[in-house]
Amino acid sequence: MAGVITVALVDDDRMLTDGMRSWLGDQPQLRLVSTAATVGRLLEPAPPAAPYAPADVVLLDLRLRDDSTPGENIRRLLHSGSRVLVISTVPDRTQVIASIRAGADGYLTKDNDLPTLVAAIEDVAAGRGAHSPELAFACAHDDSPSRPRLSPRERQVLLDYASGMTLKSAARRAGITVHTAKDYLNRVKAKYRQAGRPTYTKIDLARVVREDSLDDG
Amino acid sequence: MLLATMLYRVSHLTVGLLAVLQHQRDQPAHYAALFVALALSVLLFGTALRRGWFDRRFLWADILVNGATLPLALCAWGGADQSAELGWVMLLGTSSSAAAAVVLRRWTLLGAVALLALTHLLGYRLVSAGTAVILGHTNSLLFSAAMAWTFWWYLRRQGRMLDDANARTLAAEARKARYAERLEHHLMLHDTVLATLTTLASGSVDANSPHVRERCAREAARLRRLIQQTADEEAHQSIAEALEGAVADAERLRLRVTVQCHALPEVPSEVATALADAVREALNNVRRHAGTDHAYVTATGDASRRSVRVTVVDRGPGFDPRNYEPGLGLRRSVHDRMAQVGGRAVLDTAPGEGVRVELRWPG
Repeated sequence: MAGVITVALVDDDRMLTDGMRSWLGDQPQLRLVSTAATVGRLLEPAPPAAPYAPADVVLLDLRLRDDSTPGENIRRLLHSGSRVLVISTVPDRTQVIASIRAGADGYLTKDNDLPTLVAAIEDVAAGRGAHSPELAFACAHDDSPSRPRLSPRERQVLLDYASGMTLKSAARRAGITVHTAKDYLNRVKAKYRQAGRPTYTKIDLARVVREDSLDDG
Repeated sequence: MLLATMLYRVSHLTVGLLAVLQHQRDQPAHYAALFVALALSVLLFGTALRRGWFDRRFLWADILVNGATLPLALCAWGGADQSAELGWVMLLGTSSSAAAAVVLRRWTLLGAVALLALTHLLGYRLVSAGTAVILGHTNSLLFSAAMAWTFWWYLRRQGRMLDDANARTLAAEARKARYAERLEHHLMLHDTVLATLTTLASGSVDANSPHVRERCAREAARLRRLIQQTADEEAHQSIAEALEGAVADAERLRLRVTVQCHALPEVPSEVATALADAVREALNNVRRHAGTDHAYVTATGDASRRSVRVTVVDRGPGFDPRNYEPGLGLRRSVHDRMAQVGGRAVLDTAPGEGVRVELRWPG
């Protein structure tokens, strides 16, 4: 099965999981291996089911109904050995930023078409990280005090990409190559992850817990 | 209450003035006492009038000097040896106790009134006044305080009730406004999302037909915008609402539009309308020429400079701007429309790279 990307889905909307199964079923290069309503249920399936083997990419709904926070869910999934692509119906920008800080590789709204979703899954699986205008918009207009500093060039490419331009057009406008433009977007994401890297002093842990519970609201 | 106690004091000073003029013309101590009483009254009530309320220090000075000291001083140096001669200065104590009743708290008030009563009893003892005079005066001293306190308590209670009533009215109005907004949203949802869902649930249409799917996608997009607009409470709604009209029009013509807004400032209504008109025309161009069914509308503001920037972007084939002759739509409806309100439109495109129309206000 070389070259096939295994995918798991965590979403508590049954209709969406069914829909995703039929969508991805038509894609030979992807295989949906498991679905669950919560991260806990995915990682520890009820006895008759086989124990969970980490998928290459987990599609995680931003807002689950089990009181979990995106940050906590993403950290658990990363720890299990998967990469995470976050999806949601409405782009709640604070939560999107929190997801990237926690280590998610990308974010998409659920109204994107199938080719966009498939391309994002492939990018995430290949370790390239997925970019989307909705994620770029959340980063470009993040006005929280703890946002990372972006260079003017990074900011311009981010803004243009967030406005819906293709990476190619954004690169042309900035007078740089597509590779450089993509590099800028990767750097922005890396800065967020750096800023969100887990810290281990007691005070820092308390802060993370507090942030997570704030995120929950 | 400030004015009431002040008038009370003025009446006592008038009595004092008349009494001194009539009976004690040749006694400088009484003039001095009257002067002291007048000066302290001006200090107490003058500062209270200016600042809106009594200064405790001056009130205590008034109680101690006008109320407690002057009667005894007149007994000692003023040669007053009959209760009638002391009468006017005793009256000052009653207006002191009235002022004390509206300013002091319970125990300090009782202490002040007791002090006044004791010194006055002592004063009358010194001039060996009759029991009736002593009782009558003590009575008026205590009741001045009691009446002033009762009036003050009543007024404050009425004031609080009035404030509560006002707060309740304001809350009710805010609730009504929220309700009206919710109702408007509900009606909009009723005509769109609810109607679509009901039809789908009835099974009378094929949910998988392109027409139904298109309609569902359109309504989902609209709901999404509604949720985001409501979540972004700090932003002003005039631009977002104007753009919503243009976007809804384009969606009816089967264009999928992704809208994102951030920190939009309040702008004059003609600016919001011009932006919406320009966006409508730009979306028309996407629909007619871009060969794609998807457009992106992004509106962001800079609150400190009260400026706004709206972009309409597509990922279609674009064109070479050097060979570009602006069509009537772009020139008149976009450029001219923005220029009319002091804004600007900038076009950016290249072959194979989509079109980006940027609207800026101010230009």
